[in-house]
Amino acid sequence: MRIEALLQFALVIAFIVLWVFVPTWSMSGVNYSISLMPWGYVVRFFGEIHVIPPPTVYAVWLFAIDAGLLPLIWRRSRYSLYLATLFSVLSLSMLMDTILFQQRYLQFHGYTIAPTPNGYIYVSLPTKPVLGLPTYVLLALVILSIFNMVTRARWLGTGPEDPIVAVERVLKALHIEYSRIEGGVEVGGIKITRQGSSLRLVRGSEAIEVDLKTAIIETIKAGLKQPVSVGVVDYGED
Amino acid sequence: MVPSPLKITLLISILSIIIALILIWGTAQIAPSIIHYSTLSNAPYIKVESINVTSNGVYIRLAVINNGTPPSPLVFKPTGGWVEVVETGQVVNVTVINGTVIAKLPLTPQWVGLASVGVKGIVSGTLNGSRAYIAFFDVAPIHIINTIGITNVSYADCVLNVTLSVNTVVPVVIGPIINMSLFTVSTPGYYVFETIGIINTTIYAPAGSHNVTLTIQVSPALGRYTYVYSCNYLSGFSKYTLWLPIGVTYMYPTGNVTSYTLLTKTFVVGGGS
Repeated sequence: MRIEALLQFALVIAFIVLWVFVPTWSMSGVNYSISLMPWGYVVRFFGEIHVIPPPTVYAVWLFAIDAGLLPLIWRRSRYSLYLATLFSVLSLSMLMDTILFQQRYLQFHGYTIAPTPNGYIYVSLPTKPVLGLPTYVLLALVILSIFNMVTRARWLGTGPEDPIVAVERVLKALHIEYSRIEGGVEVGGIKITRQGSSLRLVRGSEAIEVDLKTAIIETIKAGLKQPVSVGVVDYGED
Repeated sequence: MVPSPLKITLLISILSIIIALILIWGTAQIAPSIIHYSTLSNAPYIKVESINVTSNGVYIRLAVINNGTPPSPLVFKPTGGWVEVVETGQVVNVTVINGTVIAKLPLTPQWVGLASVGVKGIVSGTLNGSRAYIAFFDVAPIHIINTIGITNVSYADCVLNVTLSVNTVVPVVIGPIINMSLFTVSTPGYYVFETIGIINTTIYAPAGSHNVTLTIQVSPALGRYTYVYSCNYLSGFSKYTLWLPIGVTYMYPTGNVTSYTLLTKTFVVGGGS
């Protein structure tokens, strides 16, 4: 599992958890305010509180969850990252649409007028529109998902490479079928497992310690004896 | 056969875009039914509490009704505003003294002939911290307030001088005096003089605030039942009370109105107690 994909998922969790406490969009004033929460618009008017739930608001966080979970569940193809980007953009679109809903159906002009027995009362209720912190987290999610899509979730690719991954890459390049086992790979009749910083080669009951070069040669030898197929690497395929 | 990732992606993309579009359309459809309309209920309003016409001017008191009454905790704090009296055309700004809204207008001759007036205006202030304006129109009866009181009394050589302060909206004729007496404030009390019957002394005062002086020669000539015990203050007594029941005729444009009132004054003469 790539750190980059986990980061994307963490941003989704941060967005939703933050949103439970902080509105993504609000118009705040002394006696009148509208706050966009995950369950709808919370409207406060002189102590009265009403919740107006436009259905699109649920799509915002449902699409966001998809954008975070998909790269963790579907790891074979890079299309999972494309789809996650689409979900994050849809989530943002739904948020914008929900804000437009407020402008269209919950518009507020900053005052209220009520009749009285011998006249009327005019109350000025100035409000200030504010984009909340969760919205910026969602924007960050969109940017990260696009970045992950472009780099195939490999922009954190620093540090020494795992020797097993190196073996896998060679096998994949040669279209040799292999299978993953715990701590290593299995090709034909041999297994390469990681043992601390060195590699172990297991053939039948025999087990020897090998270096990376030997491990690669041995797996290629074993692999070429079997039918050519496709290997498995995270987001490796088209 | 496992479908290609491209096909899965295209399928899910199209499906999710369709879901999004249906949601946008559906939200627009149900919008009118999920929106809740609210307005202020039981909001505070302004009523004319009293209109007092005095010789110093006309005082209009405005009251804030429904201020902070449950169940709606709406509290209006007035800060300013203006009123207009429809019948006289006068427009003045109000003043707020300890939460009471008062408008003071100059007294014009029209006021004397009116029984009630229409008052309209706007009172500005804050409603639960938000700037608010209450517009109102109210018809309220007028109370004309005339006051007559004794400011000073002196008695010497059987001559009684009574200084009256007269604050009236219309001209008045003060008099006659019925059953007046001057006695000491002591136990027991002693009369200085006492009259039984009517003393036809009258004095005229124009409208407004004036001091007028009644001068009465207290002697048995005033009537059969006039008892004069002393022509000066009694020696050994310094605190006296004047008892002055008097008739007052108010000369309204609609006709004269006579009323009887009791004026009293307790006063101290000399330096003694």
